[in-house]
Amino acid sequence: MTDSNGSQRQGSHRPREIRVRVRRQDGPGQTPYWETFLLPYEPDLNVISVLQKIAALGKDAEGKRVPPVAWECNCLEEICGACTMVINGRVRQACTALVDRLLEQQPDEIRLEPMSKFPVIRDLVVDRARIFATLKKIQAWVPVDNYLNLGPGPRQSQENQELAYLLSKCMSCGCCMEACPQYLKIEVPRLPGESEDDYRRREMEITNRAFMGAAALAQIDLFNSNPIGAMNARERLDVLIGEGGIQVCGNAQNCVKVCPKEIPLTTSIARMGRAATIHMVRRWFDL
Amino acid sequence: MIKADLASLFGRHEFFIRRLHSFTGLIPVGGFMVFHLATNASIADGVEIFQYRVNVIHGLGPSTIMMLEWPFIFLPILFHAMIGIMIVTRGKRNVFAYPYPENIRYTLQRWTGVIAFFFIFWHVFHMHGWLKFEWWLNYVAKPLGGHQFDPTRVITAAEAIQASIWIRLFYIVGVLSCVYHFVNGIWTAGITWGVWISPRAQRMASALALVIGLFLGGISVAALYGMNAMDTSAAQAGRASSPSELPAAELPAGEARPASGQGSLADRP
Repeated sequence: MTDSNGSQRQGSHRPREIRVRVRRQDGPGQTPYWETFLLPYEPDLNVISVLQKIAALGKDAEGKRVPPVAWECNCLEEICGACTMVINGRVRQACTALVDRLLEQQPDEIRLEPMSKFPVIRDLVVDRARIFATLKKIQAWVPVDNYLNLGPGPRQSQENQELAYLLSKCMSCGCCMEACPQYLKIEVPRLPGESEDDYRRREMEITNRAFMGAAALAQIDLFNSNPIGAMNARERLDVLIGEGGIQVCGNAQNCVKVCPKEIPLTTSIARMGRAATIHMVRRWFDL
Repeated sequence: MIKADLASLFGRHEFFIRRLHSFTGLIPVGGFMVFHLATNASIADGVEIFQYRVNVIHGLGPSTIMMLEWPFIFLPILFHAMIGIMIVTRGKRNVFAYPYPENIRYTLQRWTGVIAFFFIFWHVFHMHGWLKFEWWLNYVAKPLGGHQFDPTRVITAAEAIQASIWIRLFYIVGVLSCVYHFVNGIWTAGITWGVWISPRAQRMASALALVIGLFLGGISVAALYGMNAMDTSAAQAGRASSPSELPAAELPAGEARPASGQGSLADRP
């Protein structure tokens, strides 16, 4: 049933084979290289199933045996962000990248690359620790832990709930950072004899001084607009105007266009810009 | 070591520096540019009107002009330019991968900024020779083709621009780059400072910026057209015979429009 539907939908865009070019890298800091794979065409594939078929095939287009391509995936419904990669030059999730659609846009090949703004661990797998370090830095949570029962929190207006819902859809996938011309890759080389803990600590010190990216700016908006989260608003605003804060934004507005969750990132950024202006003046005049 | 210290100093004050960069672009630098373009556009009404406007400005006297120029024009431009170059080098443009309109504007903002940087520095040298010391102007600026403008004879500006097709082209590209950079900068500054927030407000601000841009672009084209179309041969003929004295700052009668380069224009030796 699926087969007949698929062939009806695709019509003339149905090739006999699918050519997949993958930008591979054997380990952190190593030189990347391209490898091409040929798969027999099947309707209704997504990029994850293409990668599974490449792993099952075990050889490249010339028939040479190669190790399977490494990638990450988890939810398979564009909720977790784990399979984010650059597909045909554009950042998106592999699970919702449908092969038939990709072939309509570009029939000759599908190009898969890891995100360019994060250190590559292997092939399409990148280290996104920086995203989570940033969420810690901005205190992206509502502090409710206590020894006592604090009772129910303050009521939120319908308007505020609707805004919070939009912003809370963020899955930290990294699309907005990948597409941002102001968000640059940071890859800290390991020192000889350095322990994993020391390395991570040093890496975090360096990344925390770099641009936090659109997702984190929207999360400051989310938690500062929450009635309980607002109790730590000034701490978040200090981070907002600290090194790597909102001032690095260059208003290219790619973030809002590539966001798979359609979060109004540029609206949040402008609202945070106003909050930063007010916070700056407040810090000058009333400490 | 010094580089690391500077980077750390910049990092600690990054927010303030970036906001000052935004502010200087708008108020002293952008505001001065609008004033400058409007002054130059007066050439469309004839060289005498333009000479009158220049006389009014230079009538302030060299000391007052210097005290206005350095803190309100030169230092803000130098600051804006230095930080701007730093911003350009700290971005990784990706307009071919993500060709959205705002990304194109972002990329153009960087390109026009760099063009404006080179254009303004060269333009100030070309017309004024950078520094007002006698020895510098005579032995450095003039031999290198700078200090072409004589405020007592505004026709010298037109002569300097008409000197070659490359100078004419550089003026057109440079001035229009400055206009784009300023007008798009108004739009991004409105987002940066939090003036327009919602997508609708940002769209309306964008339309307003376009109107301002077309207006300033029109003024620039008028001024450049006036400079390029001016008959400098008459001025050169006039230069030989005219007396060398500073003309009084008085408005010529509207209907009386003598040929350009007539005797009332002062000369330099």
